[in-house]
Amino acid sequence: MALEMTGSYDIPVPREKVWEALNDPAILKRCIPGCEELERTGETELRALVVAKVGPVKAKFKGKVFLSELDPPSGYRISGEGDGGIAGFAKGGAKVELSETQAGTTLVYTAEAQIGGKLAQLGQRLVAGTAKKTADEFFKNFAEAVTGETHEGV
Amino acid sequence: MYAFDYQRPSFSQDAVSMMRSLEEPKLLAGGQTLLPTLKQRLAQPGTLVDLSRIPDLSGISVAGDVLRIGAMTRHAEVATSDLVHAHSPALAELAGMIGDPAVRNRGTIGGSLANNDPSADYPAAALALGATLVTDRRRLAASDFFRGLFETALEEDELILAVEFPKSGPAAYRKFRNPASRYAMAGVFVVRGADGVRVAVTGVGQEGVFRWKEAEAALTARFAPDALEGIALDPHTAMSDLHGDGAYRAQLTKVMARRAVEAIGG
Repeated sequence: MALEMTGSYDIPVPREKVWEALNDPAILKRCIPGCEELERTGETELRALVVAKVGPVKAKFKGKVFLSELDPPSGYRISGEGDGGIAGFAKGGAKVELSETQAGTTLVYTAEAQIGGKLAQLGQRLVAGTAKKTADEFFKNFAEAVTGETHEGV
Repeated sequence: MYAFDYQRPSFSQDAVSMMRSLEEPKLLAGGQTLLPTLKQRLAQPGTLVDLSRIPDLSGISVAGDVLRIGAMTRHAEVATSDLVHAHSPALAELAGMIGDPAVRNRGTIGGSLANNDPSADYPAAALALGATLVTDRRRLAASDFFRGLFETALEEDELILAVEFPKSGPAAYRKFRNPASRYAMAGVFVVRGADGVRVAVTGVGQEGVFRWKEAEAALTARFAPDALEGIALDPHTAMSDLHGDGAYRAQLTKVMARRAVEAIGG
């Protein structure tokens, strides 16, 4: 089952700062909903532990996050795959593009997700809404985190 | 199913204190969503706190103009209660349309509302009828209670004790059910109140139950099935899945709304 999501955020911070934050595991960890652990294991590879909670469902996913198509400071592709054991698997990615504006930076993302196993059987009713909510929450948290970090520094 | 501990308190305050003191507790009402989830190993609570033997949580009563339904009251009891039929016949009819007999004999009104499944029936009734949810610590208006997909205003250790429905004007609920699950593909609860018409929709919104304001305005101006002709729900705000896309659900919503208006008699 495949899902696609898009969104756009205006962030009042210079593009270089946004790009740095996109590559900072500590900021990413704070912004990924339900992320309990995120460590860098290589130049473009991270290891993650994420708890997905939707209604009655609460499943732990161990997974890997990869960064590719790096084009600093205009964007990259962030992708991940997780294994929730018997709950199923989830994998997804997002193409993130940063463009400079007068007010700072506009972040545009196009994300897609695939879910299999029992999670997929739950139906899109549950899963599509969750995937969309998770993507929205991540980029909203990210926009806030970047804005906050920079203002603290001023 | 993973292993878990099990507690069956006799008083609601004991259930609340268990929710505070135990490791990873989870309240068990009728279990019609939670038990299948556990069987699929999609959740792993430490302890299930079973509410089924707390006498105060079940039962139906009327005080003045208010119908009070205990949180652990089963759908089948609501569907067949003389009190509910006299006070709010559309609510009894809705309860009789939930799931199948097995679900109706186990599922509870409090469990359904606390779960806030975007395709469940009771949230539409609670929102349209302006219900009040009475918890162990406060009273919550239905309009403040539902917070999107499977999310409510309830705190982790908060327990719904009862749901109160004020006396309403004529009302009707119509739904198009998924033939397999019997969840609503589109369910519309219409109330013709003294201060205007209220229309609540379930099974359709990406954020769960919602009030369809355009339909409310059109029907308040003129209460007739064809008053809905000129308006349409935005298909992009409707859920889209293998059972039906957004445009299909938006159209179904309009048809169900019209049928509910016809049932009330415009």
